[in-house]
Amino acid sequence: MTDWFDANIVLIQSTFVSLLLALSIQVPLRAGVFSFAGIGSYGVGAYTAAIVTINYEWPAFAAIAAGVVIAAAIGYLLALLLSRLGGLYLGMATIAYSLIFSVFVINGGELTGGAQGLFGAISDLTTGGVIGVTVVVVVLLALSERGRIGRRIAAVREDPELAMSTGVPVLAIRQLSFVVSGALGACAGAMNTLLRSTVSPDEIGFQLVVLALTMIIVGGSRSWLGAFIGAVIFTWLPSVLEFVGDWQTVVYGVLVALAAIFVPGGLLGVLQQGYRRWRRRALPIGGTA
Amino acid sequence: MTEDVLVAEDVAVHYGGIKAVDGIDLTLTPGRICGLLGPNGSGKSTLLAAITRLVPLTRGRLVLDGKEYHRAAARSLAKRGVARTFQTVRLLPDLTVLENVQIGADLHGRKASGVAEAIERTGIGEFSSAWPGELSYGMARRVEIARALAMRPRLLLLDEPTAGMNQAERKEISQLLRDLREEGLAQLLVEHDVQMMVDTCDDLVAMNFGAVVARGTPHEVVQDAAVREAYLGKRGRAHA
Repeated sequence: MTDWFDANIVLIQSTFVSLLLALSIQVPLRAGVFSFAGIGSYGVGAYTAAIVTINYEWPAFAAIAAGVVIAAAIGYLLALLLSRLGGLYLGMATIAYSLIFSVFVINGGELTGGAQGLFGAISDLTTGGVIGVTVVVVVLLALSERGRIGRRIAAVREDPELAMSTGVPVLAIRQLSFVVSGALGACAGAMNTLLRSTVSPDEIGFQLVVLALTMIIVGGSRSWLGAFIGAVIFTWLPSVLEFVGDWQTVVYGVLVALAAIFVPGGLLGVLQQGYRRWRRRALPIGGTA
Repeated sequence: MTEDVLVAEDVAVHYGGIKAVDGIDLTLTPGRICGLLGPNGSGKSTLLAAITRLVPLTRGRLVLDGKEYHRAAARSLAKRGVARTFQTVRLLPDLTVLENVQIGADLHGRKASGVAEAIERTGIGEFSSAWPGELSYGMARRVEIARALAMRPRLLLLDEPTAGMNQAERKEISQLLRDLREEGLAQLLVEHDVQMMVDTCDDLVAMNFGAVVARGTPHEVVQDAAVREAYLGKRGRAHA
């Protein structure tokens, strides 16, 4: 077990970082907000952690916290600016935030290292620390999917007008989802930078949007569990598909397309449907009116 | 004298040149059921949306418990005791029947009560663990009413609550609304079933083309010539 852990340490770390990245998209989607601001926040967290670690030698968790706070604040400002947008328009606006941040760091001079990025962000962050932070985040998000809070978030996503009529603070929940998304994205970016000790503008481009969205589409967008399934699949898939050589990208694309066509609720949706069928057989409801 | 729960004065909702609602006055009182009658497109549901602040007023004044609220946010009305159902069934598909009712009670915090009573009164107990997609249309309507009751309202606005129900079920719902009236609840009921309106309501307001064409007791209103022409059609007038 220890040998397997050591041999796959990078993939294990990447799985947890990818999970946080996927959650930064899943959290707003769960509230019906089609936002990719989590990707820009990933960049904010990555660069903030690198800058405070290289220039001020901040400890790992302080560096991560700095990125999280800044990205959450930006998330709130974005929420104020963009909360009246919806659907594709909101998606485009938040992708623009990520692209603008890339341009900013390329032209950021010494502070951001320009097109080369920053090197030497050596920190004391361990794999255990990454897993610990992720577990705390997942527990908090799992709690938010249950009970009163979970029902209210579902109402905001499915029917904002009904939610308002039952006293749910629709706008506040949507704004909060921007803030949480920013914090999660920044946490993922900061931890990735501190694990690899480097960050460059190439890492925070459009491919991250595609990766995060892919994880959510295949895994499922209604729960943290869907993001987890997606993160595991798309972190480990490249190593599993090594035997197909140059065809890897094609196989990857076909898998995503098949998932989008045949399991629109993601793999989690398939599991949930199966659970409902099982429960209906076990606990049949009374005759219909 | 009983204080009015809601007063609507000269309420108008215009969409460009279309006057969906135009100059409606309405008063809702505790322990009385006011019925809104009118053909499709007469503005009944728009009036409900205006009263619940889901559409902005073009003109007019809304007063709840003596305080103007026509600039208040829609969600603040729930806290002030206003609950409603919608013209089309609006349940959350990923939540069970029980959870859909709990959404109403959630308004009052984590330790909210009233869910069990709302479920019992609307007769949906055996469907608590079902999902909305598994319910008949009439049963889904009951869940909507239960959700509204779980909010423990002082004013209940019901938009075609018995659509999709058979005659026996309509009678049950009519009896429930009359029981709620005895408990002091103010109600505004929109329905197409004239007999149910006559049997259930204390006052009727008939609308056509966004305006009031008649108001009074149920028997006065259904006998009104303008109502017969607008709502029952020319045949109704011929038989009068």
